[in-house]
Amino acid sequence: MNLFRKIAFSAAVLGFMAAGTADAASKIVMDGSTTVGPIAKSFASYFTKTTGVQVTVSESGSGNGAKSLINKTCDIANLSREMKDKEIAAAKSKGVNPVEHIVALDGLAVVVHPSNRVQKLSKAQIRDIYTGKVTNWNQVGGPSAPIVKIQRESNSGTQDSFVSLVMGKDNPVSKRAETQASNGAVKNRVASTPGAIGFIGLGFVDDSVKPLKVDGVEPDERTVRNGTYPISRPLFMYTNGQPTGVVKQFIDLKNTAEGKRMISELGFVNR
Amino acid sequence: MNLGTRKILDRSFSAVGIGSIAVMGIALLIVIVPIVYNGLGAVFFTETIEHRNMLYNEFGKGDKAELDKENAAAGIYRKEAYSMLSRFEAEMETMEPVRQQEFRSKYGPVQTALRHLIGPLPGDEEAILTRYRYGQTRWEKAEEKLHELLYEAKWDYSDPNSMAKEYFVSRAAEFEGTSLVRLFPYVENNLDKMLQPRFTVYWGFLTDSSVDSHIFGGVWPEIQGTFFLAVGAMLFAFPLGVIAAIYFTEYARDGFFTSMLRSANSTLAGVPSIVFGLFGLAFFINTLKVSESKSVLAGSLTLAIMILPTIIRAAEEAILSVPKTYKEASLSLGSTKWNTIMTVILPAALPGILTGGVISLGRAAGETAPIIFTAAVSVGSAIGIADVLSSPTPALSWNIYNLASEHEAAAEIRHVQYGMVLALVSIVLLLNLSAILLRARISKKLKG
Repeated sequence: MNLFRKIAFSAAVLGFMAAGTADAASKIVMDGSTTVGPIAKSFASYFTKTTGVQVTVSESGSGNGAKSLINKTCDIANLSREMKDKEIAAAKSKGVNPVEHIVALDGLAVVVHPSNRVQKLSKAQIRDIYTGKVTNWNQVGGPSAPIVKIQRESNSGTQDSFVSLVMGKDNPVSKRAETQASNGAVKNRVASTPGAIGFIGLGFVDDSVKPLKVDGVEPDERTVRNGTYPISRPLFMYTNGQPTGVVKQFIDLKNTAEGKRMISELGFVNR
Repeated sequence: MNLGTRKILDRSFSAVGIGSIAVMGIALLIVIVPIVYNGLGAVFFTETIEHRNMLYNEFGKGDKAELDKENAAAGIYRKEAYSMLSRFEAEMETMEPVRQQEFRSKYGPVQTALRHLIGPLPGDEEAILTRYRYGQTRWEKAEEKLHELLYEAKWDYSDPNSMAKEYFVSRAAEFEGTSLVRLFPYVENNLDKMLQPRFTVYWGFLTDSSVDSHIFGGVWPEIQGTFFLAVGAMLFAFPLGVIAAIYFTEYARDGFFTSMLRSANSTLAGVPSIVFGLFGLAFFINTLKVSESKSVLAGSLTLAIMILPTIIRAAEEAILSVPKTYKEASLSLGSTKWNTIMTVILPAALPGILTGGVISLGRAAGETAPIIFTAAVSVGSAIGIADVLSSPTPALSWNIYNLASEHEAAAEIRHVQYGMVLALVSIVLLLNLSAILLRARISKKLKG
């Protein structure tokens, strides 16, 4: 049967082509945080352009990034929080030695819809909103409208940072808070919902949402760098052991003038 | 039942039938028309000179001499605008401090809006990120940005009990009495000369890589990744599926074991695709370690398992529908069972088998969930065929989701997202169409 032969032949050709060996040393695989995503993606394009090394970036959340590193399925894990002790222990038991590199600093901007007259909140007020104690904007100086709380999924480093920096251990986020899976999704939800409140990385803030002053401090490059903005945190890249070769070159990009420029152009803060 | 009632029932039944077909048609139109309309906008649009500059600098496309001429023509008008800026800056220096402070804070947003519109201003340090090196590349976006330059959006917070309303203040009015006031009507009237808009057909959207994570450029890596994943899935699933179907129909004896196998197969067909995705991650990547990281191979294997039940069922049905007489005739002529299957039954069943295969191919191309954890990345270059064993790839289905939700500039690049959607829908439609054509051709051959 002619057709069968044709199919078998093309399958064989494809199989043969696929069998070519790939040069493992000249590619970098990154996985992790959606907050670090813009930095990783920009670094990746720049790195590929200047060195020819293929870099792929997945944005699946800090938790998944850590898991990928533990399972040795990525070269660099992007995390918007520090690795947890549990994760480090899991890594060690699999023979992975996570080494942390701080790429940039980031303020967690607390954002509301621009039509909301509230300009500033204290950390305590934000905590009360997220625990569910405060349910209407008029309790914190805003119009009479119910508050739609938006949080991130449990896998998110941004969520972990928010919980540890704002909520504390004893104040769990209310079960009525809505969950979105990425910074972009939180921004879109807040931009389209007048009563919403959410928190996103500084690099994601644009005109569609309004960042609030927290404890009277505006989130911007200066206040995040000098530490006066109360909800800021470093962004990390983790490697297995001290990086070598192209991975080292990639990680070192954050210290170069170009890397620093990219970080600040993206709206994040250099260390 | 009397004749009248019967007639009425009959008519109303056909009315309901026609009605539901009409509803389906309208739904299809409502879904397809915006996809096609907006998707075509990614390829057919009015480009500005910024787009031509970008294409020349990033991809080396375009005619340098022609471009220089256009840049010079646009430059004349831009220079005028720039000189208005510098005149105003000089004027600000002479103002008293309080007034100067006030105008400086208003002047910043004007500069930003102008940068968004026509690109970096003279004296700006050259940006590293490509997105800040160019102004608006699309004319319809430029018109939106022009509005941002001309009017400042403000919110009326006067009523403390309700949500504020947005209103616009003309920036020209804010700069009343200064030299900058001339800038706004000037840019408004001469924007077309500064940006030199021209209708274009940008086929590069399909064949170029993306620049600066999809802000500019095309979706070739995604299209290629989708193709690799779908074809890879077929390579694994099709032979296995057909062999399994032959076993079920020709070799397996009806019994407890076979019926268990059949119901297992049907159950597998109903498992949600995300389950396959997680299974693929746990089994192919973490346990079997088919590759060091996510890879096309792992994704293809996962997709293959997902479409296997469909292929088995389709092939089984196709084989069962071959008339028994064919088989009997072949066997009575002294042919062996194997020979009968290969030369009589399979060729006759081929149209049905292939249709099932190609429809599964379409499904493999369109699924997102199985590849999230096994193959797809949000940024990566087009990979060579040699890299499919070890490299992950961008793929249309996943990147549509990524651009819709995670991308930091999602609202600015909706056209790319629509373009990807249209590309994916077209690929799936083309695959299904080719299944129909192939089937028709083979059936004709078999009859003839």
